[in-house]
Amino acid sequence: MTSKVFTGLVRKGLPAIITVAVIIFLYKTYGAWEYTVENLPEFFRLTFEHLLLVLITMCFSISIGVTLGTVMTREGWEKISPVIMAVVNVWQSIPSLGVIALAYGLLPFIGLSGIGMVPSLIAIFMFSVAPVVRNTYAGIESVSSDIKEAAIGMGMTKQQILFRIELPNALPIIMGGIRTSTALVVGTAPLAFLIGGGGLGFWIFTGIALVDMGIMTAGAVPVALIAMLFDFLLEIGEKMIVSRGVQADEAQLAAL
Amino acid sequence: MGTMLKLDKVTKIYPGTDFRAVDELSFELEEGEICILVGPSGCGKTTAMKMINRLHSITSGKIYIDGQDVSSMDTIQLRRRIGYVIQNVGLFPNMTIAENISVIPNLLKWDKRKINERVHSLLEIVNLSAEEYKDRYPRELSGGQQQRIGVARGMAGDPPIMLMDEPFGAIDPTNRDHLQNEFLKIQEKVKKTIVFVTHDIDEAIKMGDKICLLRDGKLIQFASPEEMLTYPKNDFVRDFVGGDRTIKRLNLFSISKVKRDDPPLIKASAGLEEARGTLSEYGTDYLVVVDENGRLAGLAANEDLQGKGETVADVVQRTNAYLDGTASLKEALSEIFTHDTGFLIVVDGDNKVSGWLDTNDIKKALKD
Repeated sequence: MTSKVFTGLVRKGLPAIITVAVIIFLYKTYGAWEYTVENLPEFFRLTFEHLLLVLITMCFSISIGVTLGTVMTREGWEKISPVIMAVVNVWQSIPSLGVIALAYGLLPFIGLSGIGMVPSLIAIFMFSVAPVVRNTYAGIESVSSDIKEAAIGMGMTKQQILFRIELPNALPIIMGGIRTSTALVVGTAPLAFLIGGGGLGFWIFTGIALVDMGIMTAGAVPVALIAMLFDFLLEIGEKMIVSRGVQADEAQLAAL
Repeated sequence: MGTMLKLDKVTKIYPGTDFRAVDELSFELEEGEICILVGPSGCGKTTAMKMINRLHSITSGKIYIDGQDVSSMDTIQLRRRIGYVIQNVGLFPNMTIAENISVIPNLLKWDKRKINERVHSLLEIVNLSAEEYKDRYPRELSGGQQQRIGVARGMAGDPPIMLMDEPFGAIDPTNRDHLQNEFLKIQEKVKKTIVFVTHDIDEAIKMGDKICLLRDGKLIQFASPEEMLTYPKNDFVRDFVGGDRTIKRLNLFSISKVKRDDPPLIKASAGLEEARGTLSEYGTDYLVVVDENGRLAGLAANEDLQGKGETVADVVQRTNAYLDGTASLKEALSEIFTHDTGFLIVVDGDNKVSGWLDTNDIKKALKD
């Protein structure tokens, strides 16, 4: 038991300590701390914009992604599912910068501005939705046919089977997709700055343009921290909503 | 006891073929009977079973449950009234044991208290402690325990009929035997009408009140196990039940039905002189030694009785040549051949000697 607690601490605590050490080192070395304190209101505004970008895109990615993934598994939709999958895969395979550029270039043709928050959201969404769709589809497909047969034989309706059996059992896999997708979103969000979407990308690209490591670090470190924060929150969320009966057990977690 | 299940010329033809997967199958089941659908693979046994809860549609013919035509019923409602247990158990991994068992009661909208009581009583019936198991998840249980929960889940809605699709097929032989025995004990308590699919004729003989032997979708013989083993209808049945069908019949008798009630008994406290007299009276090789309460103490052979000592207790030898009265004749025969006693001692639950039997008694039972 003690050794379990110990390894748990090492597994969780050590990366955190190292991260904090690296952050302090970066902030001290490049004067990012001073820059952040001097521009505190701007820092908060950019962080807020950044969080907004991430949260809104995630809401769309999860709701649309899970819906698409589920639809693909429904009877009668089998023929369309490869098409859906191909489309979202292509979206993801385009380099993120390319998606942003495409949004900028193409959105005006459908009557939307290519500049600002909305095109950024659309671009990041397109880039990040694939893992959710893919994992939802794979998760539901992986629910064993025995379980489904038992459910049908017991007189559950199709809806009951979906919501009480298929989705809950697919949830660990779906959550995996959501976490991958979140990582993509957080990683792509700084690029939103390039088409006027705001966010911490502003400092990163300004820092690069001015060859000022301080400004760049002041933007890049919070981006990394936000990524870790979201991953942490999702892990907690996963523990809360995924049934203990289908969660990866302690031994499996330790092996990760 | 009325007719609970009736199949009337039930036929299944899969769309796009003219192959009759099930061909004019008719039989009737009384309430509380277990009917085993058995036959070689592809004989249509599973198809026939799945037409009862309409997992497969019926091409022609009628199926009646308690007099009601199943094709006139709503499939969802029908299935909720039929217990369903499948080979790979199919417990829902995301639900606890209690949640798994309460699926159908929930669908039937029973109130919470009643469901809770039902879960507890079912866990008791399948011999798992409610306190210990109800909040566990299926993966925390062994295969045998999962199968018992599967059976409990199938019974949860108190269905008049249960369908079981090779429920013990995926379990290793030792545990299967154990589970079969337990299931028979459960069935004695609940007396459900059960349609049970298996490809294993031994299981069919052991579990069935009626055996329904199918080939190529056609009913070959519908009879009790005893009748099927004694009077196989044709060569196919004879082959299917196996050349050892006489030996298999041994499974159908329990020792207590065949035993003789006059074993060569001697009290442990008796003197050796008296014992020698008793032995020559019976003319057997051994005397069965019992204590004051009639419990089995061991055996005493002629040589033992010639030895030193005052009472039989001084010379008694321990023995394993005994079985409980509930054991089958097949086990009895095996025990008789294992020991050189020449006969088998029959005891009751308290280890009291209740009789004995030898190979002649077994032969007689098979002839009758």
